[in-house]
Amino acid sequence: MHSMKMEFYPLLLLEVLMSKIDLNNISHTYNPNDPEPTYALNPFSMTWENGKRYAILGPSGCGKTTMLNIVSGLVKPSAGSILFDDKDVTDLKTEDRNIAQVFQFPVIYNTMTVFENLAFPLLCRDFEKEKINERVNSVAETLNLQSFLKFPARKLTADQKQLISLGRGLVREDVAAVLMDEPLTVIDPDLKFRLRRKLKEINEEFKTTLVYVTHDQNEAMTFADNIIVMSDGEVVQAGTPKELFERPNTTFVGYFIGSPAMNLFETEASSNDCVKINGTLIKTNTNLSKLKDKKIKLGIRSEFINLAEDQKDNLLSVKVDKVEDLGNYKLLTAKMGELTIKSKINRETEVPSSDVKLHIPADKCCVYENEILI
Amino acid sequence: MGKLYKFLKYFFITFWAVFVVAPFLWALTTSFKDFNSVNGGATYIPWVDFEPKLEGWRVLIKSPANGGVDIIEPYFNSLFVTCTASLISIVLGTLSAYALSRFTFKAGFVKNNDITFFFISQRIMPPIVLSIPFFLFLGAINLLDSLIGLIVVYIVLLMPIAVWIMVDFFNKVPREIDETALIDGCNPYQAFFKVVLPNSIPGLIVAGMFCIIFGWIDFFFAFILTFTEVQLLPVKIVALNSSITPWWSLSASALVSVAPLIIVAFIVERYLSKGNLSGAIK
Repeated sequence: MHSMKMEFYPLLLLEVLMSKIDLNNISHTYNPNDPEPTYALNPFSMTWENGKRYAILGPSGCGKTTMLNIVSGLVKPSAGSILFDDKDVTDLKTEDRNIAQVFQFPVIYNTMTVFENLAFPLLCRDFEKEKINERVNSVAETLNLQSFLKFPARKLTADQKQLISLGRGLVREDVAAVLMDEPLTVIDPDLKFRLRRKLKEINEEFKTTLVYVTHDQNEAMTFADNIIVMSDGEVVQAGTPKELFERPNTTFVGYFIGSPAMNLFETEASSNDCVKINGTLIKTNTNLSKLKDKKIKLGIRSEFINLAEDQKDNLLSVKVDKVEDLGNYKLLTAKMGELTIKSKINRETEVPSSDVKLHIPADKCCVYENEILI
Repeated sequence: MGKLYKFLKYFFITFWAVFVVAPFLWALTTSFKDFNSVNGGATYIPWVDFEPKLEGWRVLIKSPANGGVDIIEPYFNSLFVTCTASLISIVLGTLSAYALSRFTFKAGFVKNNDITFFFISQRIMPPIVLSIPFFLFLGAINLLDSLIGLIVVYIVLLMPIAVWIMVDFFNKVPREIDETALIDGCNPYQAFFKVVLPNSIPGLIVAGMFCIIFGWIDFFFAFILTFTEVQLLPVKIVALNSSITPWWSLSASALVSVAPLIIVAFIVERYLSKGNLSGAIK
């Protein structure tokens, strides 16, 4: 599509003012008057640094949107405070906060042209006409909307409309953060990929803090510097994609992030650092001395499990159940008694058709008690 | 298939057009007849079937002193009352509909939907039930037989229509539009006037059309609440009738009384065909 050409990318030199966002002990309930209110968001604290990309990841209904709406001021938290650059904005109205928000479905002002749409946030803030022209043109250029500026906004396609929504966020230089609530849902996969790249480029260029809500872990992993995983109104883990991938805080994160999900085995500690899986001792790097005879889970990513070559320890003898060639890797599903083990292996590797030994690297083992990482 | 479909389509459209237009043609020809032509059997073509006369039309503008009926004053009364009442109903109705659509109200067991239903329920009871209360009410505040009194009553009748249509319409306008406007820096009033309202023009037009139609055609309350000082068009037209039915002037007045509605229909139709009504949202 014409508007989506991205070869030419002008460098906009702008002095950007941004702010750090602190969320202190924020919690929210939608039924505060009930004797037993149910919390959409359990108390949590968090700091969003300047100019970084954050992804809020979690299944539907886990409180992601509530969190965004609290930051933008559309929802007032039941407790806690929000600080922009150490200034308390908890009681500040949405229109007085410097926040841009892009919703799941493109929201455009149907009665206005593309130009007027993009200029609207500046008009509301009484910018001068020349300044508005300059800003709108530069944002339109970034988003490749220059040729549509005079079009009625309602005549554009869904993804162009979403670009306008985004543009309204970027047109203000002083915006503290651009919050995006699953902004690419309506956009087809190919374009999604390119838009995500573009968002990344915009972030790198303008140093705008981007907060991106999604339920798609791939989107989160490829987009963000930091991922906040949520489940049932709880912030389960916040960290870099690597941290989340290698050391998931809870079995939920292990299960939710990564494809296939993390291998989890129910087991018991049999010595200070070993667990027993179907009679085989597996050494871990975790100190298990306090967990003797307690129910624990051993988690390991299928990426870290490999066919044993010359290793002597930490081997599991398994029966090959099936091998799927998934293009860039092979997915080996193996059985060990009742247990199912999944392993991602190099696609060149030949897999014997019956019994194999799998190597479990001790340093990649995560041990969970009550679903929480030890 | 294609040809048959086309034939049936045009056949039906033609049939329907004749069905709708025929009474107007009948009224139009009748309005140019005199007593003899009306009673001389069915005739349609002027100058051939009958000699056209302008008497039916002249009576409408002649003053009663000269044997006319003078519908000009009632006509403008009707226009004034309908337009004023519709305008006020639309303004108040739109504001209350927006509030009902966007904010949560709670007074004991009364919630948003109950309030909306309260508005609509004003139209559910038969008008005759309201006639005595209205009569007493207007009598008490000395507004019987006055334009202001009629406007007050018509606002009561028309506002529920406006609220009903606009609540439904605002509910379909995504809340995100308001929220986006707030995020873009509008205060709630600017968000409503600059963003939500321009997006709701189709709804306003529909609501306005209904208000104008229901206001314009009302006979019942105009008949009960006015006597001599003020007369509205429907009442005046009915009053034209006498022992010898004046078909010619009745036809002429019927035509002039539907004229505004036809004009409204044309304007709305033009707006509709421009595609402004459909697809305004998403």
